Amino acid sequence: MTTVHVQYYAVLREQAGRSEERVETGAATPAALYEELRARHGLRLARAQLRVAVDGEFADWQAPLADGARVVFIPPVAGG
Amino acid sequence: MSGFAFSERPLDLAAEHGRLADPACGGYASFEGWVRDFNDGRPVQRLEYEAYVELAVKEGERIVAEAIARFGVSHARCVHRVGDLALGELAVWVGVSAPHRGEAFAACRYIIDEVKHRVPIWKKEHYVDGDSGWVNCERCAAVTLDAAPGVAASAGHDPGHAHAHHHDAADAHAHADTPTTRPDRHPAGLRRPDYSRQVVLPEVGEAGQARIRRGRVLVIGAGGLGVPVLTYLAGAGVGALGVVDGDVLEPSNLHRQTLYRLEDAGRPKALLAAERLRALNPEVDVRAYVERADRERLPALAAGYDVLVDCSDNFTTRFVVNDVAVALGKPAVLASVYQYEGQLQVLKPGGACLRCVWPDAARDGVVGNCAEAGVLGPVPGVLGSLQALEVLKLLLGLTTPAEDAVILVDLATLESRRLRAHRAAGCAGACVRLPRAGGAETAVLEIDVDPLEAAASGEYVVVDLREPHEVLVEPLPGPHLHIPLDRLLDDPAQLDAGRRYLLVCARGQRSRAAAETLRGAGIAAAYSMRGGLSALRAR
Repeated sequence: MTTVHVQYYAVLREQAGRSEERVETGAATPAALYEELRARHGLRLARAQLRVAVDGEFADWQAPLADGARVVFIPPVAGG
Repeated sequence: MSGFAFSERPLDLAAEHGRLADPACGGYASFEGWVRDFNDGRPVQRLEYEAYVELAVKEGERIVAEAIARFGVSHARCVHRVGDLALGELAVWVGVSAPHRGEAFAACRYIIDEVKHRVPIWKKEHYVDGDSGWVNCERCAAVTLDAAPGVAASAGHDPGHAHAHHHDAADAHAHADTPTTRPDRHPAGLRRPDYSRQVVLPEVGEAGQARIRRGRVLVIGAGGLGVPVLTYLAGAGVGALGVVDGDVLEPSNLHRQTLYRLEDAGRPKALLAAERLRALNPEVDVRAYVERADRERLPALAAGYDVLVDCSDNFTTRFVVNDVAVALGKPAVLASVYQYEGQLQVLKPGGACLRCVWPDAARDGVVGNCAEAGVLGPVPGVLGSLQALEVLKLLLGLTTPAEDAVILVDLATLESRRLRAHRAAGCAGACVRLPRAGGAETAVLEIDVDPLEAAASGEYVVVDLREPHEVLVEPLPGPHLHIPLDRLLDDPAQLDAGRRYLLVCARGQRSRAAAETLRGAGIAAAYSMRGGLSALRAR
């Protein structure tokens, strides 16, 4: 198991009901982590509509997830 | 050769032309202003021009120098007549020579427009009925009448003629008072823009102020983000500001769009913004474009500007701005807001662009806009202010961490986060080719059909994409399926690829996004009801 710090933005924050949390996970990639959290919090956005950043950098969904990583899920926003 | 001169005699155009000749120049553009036979409904017989020569020549020379620096033309000159002129006589002439015609035309236009606005020249009209009067040009009239209503009368002129009028480029300027009491368009020197508070910064200085003055910035969207961008850039003395917005002001805009007033409701925002910005800083050349910045139009508009600022409220426009900036190699500053959060990105040629961050172009309707999700006024205010700051950094040549990154700002927690982004391999080419929002595709994606009729005809299966709480407030009449957008996009295969679908939502944004996505998932006959239920109500 690894422990990661997760942050949610915009509509995801609303759906998750929180802006951040620490998560113990068996997920090896951001993709697997998102699917796990999606089921847990009832997140409705599909992965294709989001981007993920790991440790301050936009990352590939299939990149390996290290213990202690800071993961940010970001939907695009359009308001102006 | 001086850049600006007055002449008491008719001009020798051949000689003027000869002064601009240069074997390195491939183009020559000129403008002639003539004395016209009517003004404001009154027939005019002849004209008299007077100038405060010392000041006027200085200002005229400054304008011509600005045009040469700004447009990179080789030679330019303007000559204005003074004294008595008959109908049809040449009153003002501008000539420009340059390596290419584009700069020559642009510089010529710039010089005549600026001369009309800035050079202190007075015009006395002699009317056919024997009367005469000194007349004001539009901008000067407003200043004169506001600032010194007594001056016109005490100088012995008929105040009845001291009103604004529309004139073509020929009938240059006029002021209602005497030359010595009316130095220029900043009466009594009190209303001259003063940039001293920013010039004193070591990063600005006189050189930096000159860079700001040379800047030409096109702002797409005059709403919650656009208002602070435009206001700060006009205040800073940016040389030229373009405002693109096709919408009219609605009272629901005012909590976040502080440039406007309730009484402005119903008027085009681009025109309102231009009017307010000119009042804020008459030195800025403000152009209003009352239109939508789409893929066909924006490249032409953007060509005359150095920096693009996306202040739109939808993904379609945001990607158009991105693509045009990448294609033309111009920097751009993008921002968007959602409730208490904002995203900011600065594009520089060769760096990461919006499509590098969002390779699967985001679609309108998938996440909320201000109307659907709500927003507090200061949120776009903060993000728009950041955009204005980034534009000034670009003009001043300062570095910025918003480049090759997305800055996330959460104004609920007051936290911000910088996420580094990398330019995608082959991005520049891909960005130009990627656009999918072509006109033809749009035409077949959205249709104007009443869902009741569509269902009754048996031709379409009607699908209501709205959330349950919206359906409760306003149920959709007639037979239909109810599948909220998220659930539909999660599993498009729940629809039958062999049937025709009419997708319906509140305003037509979500249904359009859904139709696009469903087509991509193999549901070929997915259509969006244009404008949604609000369009139906309007019928």
